[in-house]
Amino acid sequence: MSEPAAARSEEPEEAGDAVLRTENLRKTFGGLTATDDVTMEVERGTITGMIGPNGAGKSTFFNLVSGFYEPDGGSVVVNGEETTGMDPHEVTEHGLVRTFQTPRKLEGMTVREAMLVGPQRQLGESVIPLFTQPDAVAAEERQNLQRAEELLERFEITHLADQPATDISGGQLKLVELARAMLAEPDLLLLDEPVAGVNPTLANKLKAIIRELHEDGITFLIIEHDMGFIMDLADPIVVLNQGAVLMEGSPDEVKNDDRVVEAYLGGGGGD
Amino acid sequence: MADDSHEPEDDIEPEGADDGSSAEAGGNGPGGSRSAFEGGVDTSQRRVERLTNYGIAAAAVALLAGVLVGLVSPTYLLFLVSLAGMYALLSLGLNVQWGYAGLINFSVAAFFGLGAYVPALLSASGSPLPWDVSPIAGLFVAVAATVVLALAIGIPTLSLREDYLAIASLGLAEVLRLVVRNQQSWTNGTNGIGGIPLFFEGVPVLGTFASDVGTVDLGIYTLGYQFWNGLLNFAIVAGFVVVSYVVLRRVHRSPWGRVLRTIRSDEDLAEALGKNTYAFRMQAFVLGSVVAMLAGVYYSYSNYFITPGIFDPIFTFYAWIAVILGGSGSNRGALFGGVVIVAIVEGSRGLGVGASWRLFAVGALIIAVMRFRPQGVLPPRKELIWPGAHRGGETDE
Amino acid sequence: MLATLVAQPSGGVVAGAALAPGLAVGGLDYVPQLLNYFVNGLVFSAIIVLGGIGLSLVYSIADFANFAHGDTMTVGAYAGLVTLGAVGTAGPQLLALPLGFYAALLAGIAAAAVVAVATHYFIYRPLDTDSIGLLITSIGVAFVYRAVVQLQFGTDFTEYDVAVLRPVPWIEAATGITITEHELAIVLVAAVLVAALHVVLQYTTLGRTMRATADNEDLAKVSGIRTERVITSMWVIGAGLAGAGGVFLGLYNQLGPRMGFDLLLVIFAAVILGGIGSVYGAMLGGVVIGMVNRLTPVLSDVGLPIEPAYANAIAFVIMVFVLLVRPTGIAGEGVS
Repeated sequence: MSEPAAARSEEPEEAGDAVLRTENLRKTFGGLTATDDVTMEVERGTITGMIGPNGAGKSTFFNLVSGFYEPDGGSVVVNGEETTGMDPHEVTEHGLVRTFQTPRKLEGMTVREAMLVGPQRQLGESVIPLFTQPDAVAAEERQNLQRAEELLERFEITHLADQPATDISGGQLKLVELARAMLAEPDLLLLDEPVAGVNPTLANKLKAIIRELHEDGITFLIIEHDMGFIMDLADPIVVLNQGAVLMEGSPDEVKNDDRVVEAYLGGGGGD
Repeated sequence: MADDSHEPEDDIEPEGADDGSSAEAGGNGPGGSRSAFEGGVDTSQRRVERLTNYGIAAAAVALLAGVLVGLVSPTYLLFLVSLAGMYALLSLGLNVQWGYAGLINFSVAAFFGLGAYVPALLSASGSPLPWDVSPIAGLFVAVAATVVLALAIGIPTLSLREDYLAIASLGLAEVLRLVVRNQQSWTNGTNGIGGIPLFFEGVPVLGTFASDVGTVDLGIYTLGYQFWNGLLNFAIVAGFVVVSYVVLRRVHRSPWGRVLRTIRSDEDLAEALGKNTYAFRMQAFVLGSVVAMLAGVYYSYSNYFITPGIFDPIFTFYAWIAVILGGSGSNRGALFGGVVIVAIVEGSRGLGVGASWRLFAVGALIIAVMRFRPQGVLPPRKELIWPGAHRGGETDE
Repeated sequence: MLATLVAQPSGGVVAGAALAPGLAVGGLDYVPQLLNYFVNGLVFSAIIVLGGIGLSLVYSIADFANFAHGDTMTVGAYAGLVTLGAVGTAGPQLLALPLGFYAALLAGIAAAAVVAVATHYFIYRPLDTDSIGLLITSIGVAFVYRAVVQLQFGTDFTEYDVAVLRPVPWIEAATGITITEHELAIVLVAAVLVAALHVVLQYTTLGRTMRATADNEDLAKVSGIRTERVITSMWVIGAGLAGAGGVFLGLYNQLGPRMGFDLLLVIFAAVILGGIGSVYGAMLGGVVIGMVNRLTPVLSDVGLPIEPAYANAIAFVIMVFVLLVRPTGIAGEGVS
């Protein structure tokens, strides 16, 4: 598995079952290359980790595959369909949902309401049915509410439901975000530093929850700086450096790879 | 979407920098309404609401007493209440755009003017255009024209950054104002349009109601044509307000409204959760514009004569102060704001102080609200979940 | 109304010429006409540039769209009016303007600066809000400025007590261009002020820190630049230039309580065209928008059905177009 990523991309398309595949993905900002030629796959049913020194291009990569940045070159394929250049909400419709490193808090909403933004294609999100089929909207809303409360219960944060979404802690917000993302029923969940700034107890809880969701069939791609966390959770792990895939392999392979050590110690920008 | 505000570049965020508190950095949404929700629990909010209710009740009692002792004529009272309804329509419409979706729309006056001009052009005897459409049909044409104008302004501007949207929408509204002023052959320009019929002209019973009823002598007052006609105008604007309020109340606490409120707080988050934010913003813009336009329709049919002065940006800013004062995102706040605007506009007239003091009052009020109560007097309350879906039953607002 | 400027040009030169029917377009006799539009545009540009610099500075350093900026110009214009009344018009003249007028100009600059700094300290700074909240507050500030002017001076138009001039004869004889000494004074003084600003921005510590703050306020804070002092200087410079612009607008046109507010969007158009936050961009945008504004009669001269009354509308359409396709403006980004 420690073969260079470039070799992997030469595999025929139907080989393996990739939820996400990028080819030669490239993005520059005013002459600065943030992501240069990233070719990689996230295989269905994995928890794939993504690490790399600061400035390696991880967040840019997330923004590219989730549609927030338009790539300057290359392609993104989600669930077998090309999503290159699509708007973020269109990418989400293809089954890829992302979270943010520093989520903003939704003002004037309770945690319960904030959760209810998650479900996709809600009838009540169109204006006309609100007047023509109010009962159907109510039934749908009741169902979503129930799912939301089940998830809150599963994440052991039921007590937060009535809290204003602006009043919960950063760590709790990460849990709520994850729970809300689940309501969108993703195939692939992109988590951007899920445990950054989260206390160790909560981090362990997050880890357990991610494992549980993984067993339910969700594929994960996780950016994380916390090495202990990601090495314990993810396999395989993709290492980005200077905007390109440096290597991909199991946690042990990554740990023992000289190039990785060098990237972190060397020109990575002082992690 | 390309300019996202979460991670402008790459991994610049130092590790551990984002603990719980940093998530609040920049998260207070537009317009300083950060404490909008705290009202749900604190008692000072209840006190403010109680005071507001007392204030409104006192004003109502004073006006009614004024009628009883002969200081305020019933016709004038009707006019005042109707005018409050008109401003309430402007603020209810803007509230959909700014309060729900966070759109800084400075083109409210354009839709107010459009609502006045389209029916007038179609049905007034003084219109330079040849058609003679019934006023009620004119209302529907005005709705269609509003949708067209809202798309024309919205398509180029709604993808802009919030402060650019403010400037661009004001600019496009000014373009429309200049067109109405200068295209003599279409609009009569600054001469205005006279001979606007009554809204119910040609309608059985209602069309001749005001002259049929005749005069009723009440001792201190004689209720004549003016009064009955005022009553009909009041009925029109009241109808508009009630329908708008009911519609907006429903959409506000629907999943649709929830998406808009998410967009207002964090547009990127809404996109990441699969919501087509541009489409939602556009819907909010069009819906709000139609509501604001209704104010113009009322104005047109309750006045014999209109001029391009109705496109003056001051009407946009009246709507803004009403929404901010009432509480961004709050429908009842928008109603309240409409009443306050009338109190300022007509009150200054009643006290005999001029337009300058009125302008001063409006300006000072904006500053005072932003300084001391940025969430407004009556911010939205509690959580908004579709009625009947919640175990807890009814919710407010 | 915004159309006032175009509807009532004080000189009467441009409008009179534009209304003359049957101009031989493309013929040689149109050249002086065109030159006149340009020169008139230059005068108008000078006023827009003076307004635009401050708007741009506030946008980049205080980080909000200041809707009170136009009314700051009005404050300057009326402070000049009061001063001219007090000082009188006796004594020697420079460019057909009495020394008293130059005193009025200084008073206009000072008054606008003082009012803006006071507004910053008493209104904007205590606010606990973001740039949108400041934008909305600035509308309230604009109304208060205008209301105070109206309460003091009424709503009627008025003029500075200086003689209305004929165009300078020898320039007209030599080139066919009609420009009054007053208009020459506007362009020259504006050029001096802009040059002075350039020197301040490029060659003084204050200027360098202002540019740094404009580029990145956080960085400026971290690197020990005292931003509060920079912000105060920014208000002094921006509002002072706006005050000068207001006095010149009063001289060029006439004075009215809405004079500044009606020009605000045109100035916004210039600032956006030049690139928001870029002082030099604002200057460039001001020249372009001023020119376009005064060249609008060419459109009807060549037979297009767009009347000079649409001069501002054209500026607004350009503004929206720039926002859509190139929000950084024609001059790129940043002050430096």
